[in-house]
Amino acid sequence: MDEKIAPHLEELTRALGDLEKTGIRAEFEKLIAFRVPPDVAKETILRKFGGKRKVLKIKDLSANLKNFELTGRILDLGEKPIRPQEGTNKGSSRLYTGVLADETGSVLFSSWKELPGSVGDVINIKNAYTRVWQNRIRLSIGEQSLVSKEPDSTLPSLSELSGSQTKKLIDIGAMDFSVNTVACVIQFSHREVLVKGRQSRVISGVLADETGRLPFTAWVELPGIDIGSIIRIEGAQIRMFKGMPSVNILNSTKVSQVGPEEAKNLAFTFESAVKDPAPIKIEDINSRESMFDVAAAGNVVSVRPGSGIISRCPECGRVIQKGNCRVHGKVEGIRDMRIKAILDDGTGSMSVMFPRELAEIVYGKTLEEAEQLMFSDVSKDAVYEDLRRFLTGRYLAVRGNASKSEYGISFVAEKAWIPEDDLAVRVVELLRRLGPDEENKQGECSSTGGIYLA
Amino acid sequence: MKRINRVNALPLEEFILLKREVAKRIFAKEFEACRELEKAARSDSEALDSKVPNFLISPLGLILNRVFVVGVVTELDNIGTQGEMWKARIVDPTGAFTVYAGQYQPEASIFFSTVKVPAFIALTGKARIYEPEPGSVFVSIRAEEANVVDEEIRNRWVVDTAEQTVDRLAAFSDALASGYHGEELREYLIERGVSSELAQGISIALEKDVSQEFIKLLRTSIREGLKALDFDGGTGAKADQKEFVLELLKEMGGSKGVDYATFMEEAVARGIPEQVVEEVTRILLAGGQCYEPKIGIIRLVG
Repeated sequence: MDEKIAPHLEELTRALGDLEKTGIRAEFEKLIAFRVPPDVAKETILRKFGGKRKVLKIKDLSANLKNFELTGRILDLGEKPIRPQEGTNKGSSRLYTGVLADETGSVLFSSWKELPGSVGDVINIKNAYTRVWQNRIRLSIGEQSLVSKEPDSTLPSLSELSGSQTKKLIDIGAMDFSVNTVACVIQFSHREVLVKGRQSRVISGVLADETGRLPFTAWVELPGIDIGSIIRIEGAQIRMFKGMPSVNILNSTKVSQVGPEEAKNLAFTFESAVKDPAPIKIEDINSRESMFDVAAAGNVVSVRPGSGIISRCPECGRVIQKGNCRVHGKVEGIRDMRIKAILDDGTGSMSVMFPRELAEIVYGKTLEEAEQLMFSDVSKDAVYEDLRRFLTGRYLAVRGNASKSEYGISFVAEKAWIPEDDLAVRVVELLRRLGPDEENKQGECSSTGGIYLA
Repeated sequence: MKRINRVNALPLEEFILLKREVAKRIFAKEFEACRELEKAARSDSEALDSKVPNFLISPLGLILNRVFVVGVVTELDNIGTQGEMWKARIVDPTGAFTVYAGQYQPEASIFFSTVKVPAFIALTGKARIYEPEPGSVFVSIRAEEANVVDEEIRNRWVVDTAEQTVDRLAAFSDALASGYHGEELREYLIERGVSSELAQGISIALEKDVSQEFIKLLRTSIREGLKALDFDGGTGAKADQKEFVLELLKEMGGSKGVDYATFMEEAVARGIPEQVVEEVTRILLAGGQCYEPKIGIIRLVG
């Protein structure tokens, strides 16, 4: 038996390095024990651990990545004992958690094995993976990860990495904990929220700079600051809400107004920041984890099932099937209308959700009119079919929030319209870029001649 | 539940491939020159996986699977011997797409069973390639969804597609002029702001001989197609003459179309120079506003 598997093990060692340390050999032997033919087992192991191992920076991390390599400096490290599960004969183990940072951001990590370094050291992790935990991406270091200390690293020092990084709004993401930024307040309102059973007053609004927009929440008063103020924020906390980063201004955050002299040097003004966002390529939305208040335009290439008239639970608002809510059982559903459509501009595609108010505008029929159609037709999909006939192929521009899910970008529209940019202007620009045509040169000469004569 | 587990178990590359394929914008002339993207050009682990869709690559390096086209459907036949199999020709300013829809494309088949030729239609589908013998290659679209649209949407598609094609032409010429190859070229293009997918496509496309003649022809037909676009009737004397020829065509052609020679005689008799009639007809043909149901017969769309 050993003779049969030895060449495969050799090959795996060549491809993946030391098999013993990483537990890959154990994994391979487990497959063999389950009577998996050695060559198939080798393929399986290669597919799982081998192939192109990607070297990633922290900003590139997203949910459910596997088998990548990452180097970072430990900013924080703690350990906690994990009680063994009842019924297993494993002894108690320890979980090491902390924060790892590189020049692009920082990330929470948890490790099932002791790390070869402590706070301030740079470590290299091979075969790491990510999980989403409490709405944030967490770097996981498992039994099969190979961790080594890098004594001579060029990564920024501990003090540089642990301070808040100064960022433009578009660069702020799930990897940031604490940031500094300069931005303009374009929305500002007070609201009451219930925090741990106590009523408290918070300020919520929207910040903008030349790169984008983000929502913010201030848990402290902001005297003298209102819509139009350009402010410098130092040490704001970033929290994730519905997949969207939000800037949190806390007691420890320093907020100051930017004077008019300094504001002159900024790449934005209140007037430019408050302007409606211009449509961007869907490709650019695809490349980010989330985007707040952006616009895009493209063709409706598909209207998805689930569009049209739906029933919602009166208690929780969930979509119900056959009068049954997943949580509240048999309920009297409330009728609602929505459209889920794929918008595609040739560079990228995204799933756009149009809630009722927008669905009525885009469709040109109200919920009541759609209901009429539903009752007058024997097909239960009458409204969906009508929507498809009406929308497929059409141009639409949308504005709203985008966030990434397992199946690509989902976009919740807050506005929708038919793009009306001037095609003739775009054609002139295109003809200029295409350059003059040889056979047309004569034609152009004669037309210039015509103008000259006139 | 099972499905979600599978997703989590997939490595990065395959995970990304589960996303919806982008519907590329491409003119018929570039589309029909597409070839199969060899699996060896991609990584081994992807090639091993049969779930990976088949990709084509255009002479300019556009990698594509799904496309979105808007044009005039000028021919429509049910070629199925058992059950339905629709074959359609969709004309754009540069040429024509061949489209198929059979029993496994029920939505598109139902659409084709109801549409009247000619009409402006928008269509999404998957690019297919068929090579019965070396040297003869048929590139077609297997339809997914289709709908009747108006001329405004068609015009917008032509402008969008022209913009994306001209961007691609610019990146391609840049790549050609740079003198780089392979990985170096890829990095150079990404540095220049080209998307990583197109950068990869161009570096693959450049390994083959690229016909300068093809690029010249493509440029010319895009230019012609753009000039032929009719926004609110156009401007100037040419537009007036075009209007006149169009009216005459309407008058003489009716729903059956008109013999081109007869039409020419009549137009010249009414004071329109022969070359103007020729040019207008060519523009109308290129712009998809009229077509040839039979050789020598021209007929207006709509």
